[in-house]
Amino acid sequence: MKASKRMEGDVAVLSLSGKLMGGPDAEAVRGAIKDCLEGDTKNILIDLGDVSWINSTGLGILIASHVTVTNAGGNLKISRVSKRISQIFMVTKLHTVFETFETEAGALSSFQS
Amino acid sequence: MRRRETSEGLRGYVMAEGRRSHEVRLTIPSCLECLSVLDKLVEGVVELLEMAEEDANAAAISVVEAGTNAIQHGNKFKEEIPVEFIFSLDSDALRVEVRDRGPGFNVEEVLSADPTTPEDILKPRGRGIFIMRSLMDEVSFKIEEGDGCRAQLTRYRKRPE
Repeated sequence: MKASKRMEGDVAVLSLSGKLMGGPDAEAVRGAIKDCLEGDTKNILIDLGDVSWINSTGLGILIASHVTVTNAGGNLKISRVSKRISQIFMVTKLHTVFETFETEAGALSSFQS
Repeated sequence: MRRRETSEGLRGYVMAEGRRSHEVRLTIPSCLECLSVLDKLVEGVVELLEMAEEDANAAAISVVEAGTNAIQHGNKFKEEIPVEFIFSLDSDALRVEVRDRGPGFNVEEVLSADPTTPEDILKPRGRGIFIMRSLMDEVSFKIEEGDGCRAQLTRYRKRPE
């Protein structure tokens, strides 16, 4: 998995690509989230548009990110979820936890409302 | 072109009613990165079986999940210990056996866990087998001392009513 970060106004967009499946992926995402919060950026968007698949360990990374950001008083949202990942969110009921958006633009505008 | 002809021929073979099971086997080291190879194989298998997108995704998610469990919990990330996958391609279903060499686990305890409850939904672990059971039609485990753990997953082409 690769992770890159850019700022869109007061929102940090963390774009992930490849396969989200644990191991070093957890440290990469955790580090990026930590950098955002330490830099006082509390609005974070994780873009999954280029993530081909995810396993339960990868789900754990997203859950841990959600908990960390929420506990810090921030908002974590997720954009561009594939059908395959959406199917996992549904069966695990994580669609009730994660706020997801079809497009990055839709997600970004939701932070302003 | 030659590859396509071969693929079409195998599809006809697999889909023919009354044919015996056709097996595809894969053995990988216990490393998470190797699951990419597994995912590609599943992609090819579900294409051969002409499974609908939702069924194909369900099979891919579940088999990768079984592989993740075998690597993490069964073989404890010891790369020299293999994980074996046996795909049985039938006209009625896809059956997959995933074998690790670990000591197994308390099946009843794991099967009774529900990670979707409000108390557990934010826990980062404990979803693998729940996901498999939610997406496949049949999931069972055979654990024999000294013989490792075999997860057996079935997804029917026509879902049972």
